[in-house]
Amino acid sequence: MAAKQKLMSVRRDWRERDVRVVLVALVIAVATVATIGLFASQLQRTLVSSASSFLAADRQLESENGRPVPPGWLEEARDRGLETGQMIEFSTMVFGETGFQLVSVKAVSDEYPLRGEIEIQPGADESRSIVDAGPGRGEIWINPRLLRLLELEVGDSLEVGNLELTITNLLIREPDGGFRLSSLAPRVMIHVDDVVGTGVIQEGSRVEYIYLFAGTENLLDDYYQWLQPQLEPSHEWEGVRDGETFSRSLERAERFLLLGGSLAVLLAAVAVAVASRQYALSQRDTVALLKTLGLPSKGIGRLYLRRLALWGLVGVLGGLLVALPLFWVLVRLLSDVLEQPVDFYLDPSALVPALLTALVSLFAFAYPPIRRLRHVAAMRVLRSQPGETGREAIPDMVIAIVAVFGLVWMYAGEISLVISLLGGLALLLVALALLGGLMVAALRQVRGGGNAWRLALVGLYRHRRASMAQMAVFAMTLMLAATLILVRTSLLDDWQAQLPDNAPNHFLINIAPDAVDDVEAFWADRDAPLDTVYPMVRGRLTELNDQPVKEAVSKDERVGALNRELNLTWMAALPEDNEIVAGSWFTPGETEGVSVEAELAEQLGLVLGDRLTFTIGSETVTEAITSIRTVQWDSMRPNFYMAFPPGGGLTDMPGTWITSFHLDQSNKVALNEFSRRFPTVSVLEIDHIIERIQQIVRQVTQAIEAILALILAAALVVMAAVVSATLRDRQREGALLRTLGGQQSLLARSTMLEFALLGFFAGVLGVLAAEAAVYALQVRMFEGGFSWHWQVMLPIPVISAVLLALFGRWQLRPVLSVSPMLLLRRLE
Amino acid sequence: MNQMTDLSTSDTSPMLRVTDLAHRVSLETDTLTILQGVSLEINRGESVAIVGRSGSGKTTLLGLLAGLDTPTEGTVALDGAEISSLSEDERAKLRASRVGFVFQSFQLLPALSALENVMLPLELAGIDAPEVRAKELLVRVGLGERLNHTPRQLSGGEQQRVAIARAFASDPVVLFADEPTGNLDNRTGQDVSDLLMALNREQGTTLVMVTHDEQLAARCGRQLHIEAGILTEPESARERAH
Ligand SMILES: Nc1ncnc2c1ncn2[C@@H]1O[C@H](COP(=O)(O)OP(=O)(O)OP(=O)(O)O)[C@@H](O)[C@H]1O
Ligand SMILES: [Mg+2]
Repeated sequence: MAAKQKLMSVRRDWRERDVRVVLVALVIAVATVATIGLFASQLQRTLVSSASSFLAADRQLESENGRPVPPGWLEEARDRGLETGQMIEFSTMVFGETGFQLVSVKAVSDEYPLRGEIEIQPGADESRSIVDAGPGRGEIWINPRLLRLLELEVGDSLEVGNLELTITNLLIREPDGGFRLSSLAPRVMIHVDDVVGTGVIQEGSRVEYIYLFAGTENLLDDYYQWLQPQLEPSHEWEGVRDGETFSRSLERAERFLLLGGSLAVLLAAVAVAVASRQYALSQRDTVALLKTLGLPSKGIGRLYLRRLALWGLVGVLGGLLVALPLFWVLVRLLSDVLEQPVDFYLDPSALVPALLTALVSLFAFAYPPIRRLRHVAAMRVLRSQPGETGREAIPDMVIAIVAVFGLVWMYAGEISLVISLLGGLALLLVALALLGGLMVAALRQVRGGGNAWRLALVGLYRHRRASMAQMAVFAMTLMLAATLILVRTSLLDDWQAQLPDNAPNHFLINIAPDAVDDVEAFWADRDAPLDTVYPMVRGRLTELNDQPVKEAVSKDERVGALNRELNLTWMAALPEDNEIVAGSWFTPGETEGVSVEAELAEQLGLVLGDRLTFTIGSETVTEAITSIRTVQWDSMRPNFYMAFPPGGGLTDMPGTWITSFHLDQSNKVALNEFSRRFPTVSVLEIDHIIERIQQIVRQVTQAIEAILALILAAALVVMAAVVSATLRDRQREGALLRTLGGQQSLLARSTMLEFALLGFFAGVLGVLAAEAAVYALQVRMFEGGFSWHWQVMLPIPVISAVLLALFGRWQLRPVLSVSPMLLLRRLE
Repeated sequence: MNQMTDLSTSDTSPMLRVTDLAHRVSLETDTLTILQGVSLEINRGESVAIVGRSGSGKTTLLGLLAGLDTPTEGTVALDGAEISSLSEDERAKLRASRVGFVFQSFQLLPALSALENVMLPLELAGIDAPEVRAKELLVRVGLGERLNHTPRQLSGGEQQRVAIARAFASDPVVLFADEPTGNLDNRTGQDVSDLLMALNREQGTTLVMVTHDEQLAARCGRQLHIEAGILTEPESARERAH
């Protein structure tokens, strides 16, 4: 038994190359999946917190029924370790020396903002500064426009209801300013404790109580679990994820990480499968020997099972040992990019997929071939037996494929991802079988060698079975890597296209109809031409097919659009980023009909031909739907639910004009002059938001590149593992060829060529399969269009050819460097 | 090719000429002398057996004669070519065109069929239609029905026959065999050595064979003894040779 234990010891194991490959594959699997998992959750947290500033918190609870929420809710949050804050928003009149003005008041507590910053200016000509708290009691910060409208100066006092407050600062930017076209009245900010003193808020006033929460995701989730059952319909729990401008970018980044992680899982599984099969083959003699020594099959099964468990342990520990420093480096990189320190966030649950990956790859991929060892005939000791046909392995493969896709599914939670990848792989195997058949038939014709090319082709034919298997794995690996590269490229392109450097970053709202030309001229003179200027009329949708809309639309459709005024417009040309999904756009001269935004149409169940009645002021307009179109809400351009044709039902309605344009930082001073000349026009500065989004995109891009690098490294290891699976045979062959008179240089060249050909064809197949998978992914998961990516894809076969040639050469190294005599002694 | 024509014109020159050969390998602590003061000539068409105890240096000598390695001292001329003056690639070329090998442990590639194994040297030498020649040889060694079987599916004797077919595939002028029957039972060993001798005669090859088998050694035209790295030749045999 001592001898048996010795045979099974890990120390001895490690000396075996195949075991080393299995262990390395496992370590890499665990390391990659764990690193991605950790990094993804870190990134998500970092992004959320940098995006959180849009809410001035991590979560907001809005109460829209005009009543505060029970104080116990906030106490509970604080007890749970969450930070809290409070805001009250309402509209009211303010009175200055020269007149009065409707303003939108935001009253904030001391804690505001929990996330993000406020930008203020202590006087019209002073420099701006960033602060992290709102006004104190007795102070009021006001929008610069209000300063002009009421001819005020900083230091003046302003009456809000019964209270007289001192203007101490101009409010330039609030973190949660968001981008609400509806809030057209100038903003003022006061302290929340002053609200009561104003006496403005009465029973039934239109007022919104907003509560701010910040803390770890776990705490927030737990708190929400507790809170949710008590919420009323008028309460809304809001995170950054929902409906914000950049949520789509975030979502895509997350999906990318998921995709990356899934591919890492697949790659790891392939590596473990290849290595352990090789190991099992090499173990047959040992098993036969153990059997002759009298060990029953069962005992052998147990021996190897124990060994697998041990490997799993080593793989997991080793993987974590690699993952943690790697994660540390990535986070450091991230904080460099962000130019701000990032707190480490080690999410233990992010490690679960890594552990499962190790488990599944060991038991679905490594175990089956090893289990079959039990059936090795003891006779093998006396006489070597015919090898496996490979047919027994088919059920194992089915189990393995099911297992790994189950894993990916569990991991990514996206059936479409699983199907896309599976589809791509299936396609790949079909193409491989076809190409393989053709190649073997063609290679059969190549006869004789002498030069490296012919020897390489003969070599390919000679190793056709191994070559096909290797090609399958290479092609799969390359497909996975190429998929990721493609998705990354299109993701980045997409973001770039979404927010180009000259994206509009300022809105002009409230332009009087007769001022439009002057405003346009003003900015044209300053090299900042306006985008299209749209008329904007505010109106309510009141009737659908001559029925009151609230009755026509079922109750449970909580469509916010019905409760507030919609932005209506008229326009001749369809905006570039809109797309007609039903009906057709107005023809020139057409004056009837209305075009409806697609999501709203779907929510309300609107179809072409439905008659919509809008109430605008005291008037009504009725038009039939002639088209339904999609709108890019995150385009940073004015977007409208309803568009009428020029000269249509809207033309004579009272309205103002709106536009957006790009203004360089260097040109921003012109805003002062603009405001003086056009005091009634609101300028909405969203350049900070845009910068923020661009920053997020940069972070995500970095993360994506890092993960891509990780996956490519994993892919390299898989390929190395596969190449080295045939190492022994290759070296044996190389040694023999040399004794038989093969010249070193010829052998080296023909081997490199052979591998280069293998790599090239695998590359071509992998790339084609990747295009197919990406097509499916792109369409289903990333909602993008699809185009071929030749410039990205072309280098892949070449790179894979070169890499494999180098691998092949490296493999032959021990054979080429010593005298054939020594080789022969090794062969014996 | 030049040497090839040399061969036909200078038929009387020895196939192998060894002068003052010594071979030493350095080990961790000291150097081990494996061969020492070996001088020897082998004529064309001769068959020579080298016998000696295990560890006496037979395989080492064979390897040096075949140009698989270069000696520490002395010279080996194979078919007129001075081996130590050739580069590794030139020696490989020489082996490919003039030399055949048979090993004690067969040395067939397990992944290849019998036919592919025999084709290997032909492909290396760049010979046209290697398959035809390889099939011929396999038929000659009695394995015409086993062309597509892999070594695993063949018995030891059959494997060695494949190895013999491979050794003769590239029409060598000299064949080196290192205990070709060492892994086979008597009967099979007998068959294999019959085959080897027969093919040797048919092809007019020079044969240098290492063996323990006295009987097999006796079938060779000449016997050399090696002991502790020193080569001796029995008087009677030398007379017969000259
Ligand atoms: N490269 C080497 N390094 C160390 N020792 C070597 C080397 N080559 C040969 N030897 C030693 O030289 C001696 C002769 O070896 P060789 O293989 O020539 O013996 P042999 O006569 O063929 O023996 P056998 O009949 O067992 O095959 C042996 O003791 C061997 O261990
Ligand atoms: Mg020997």
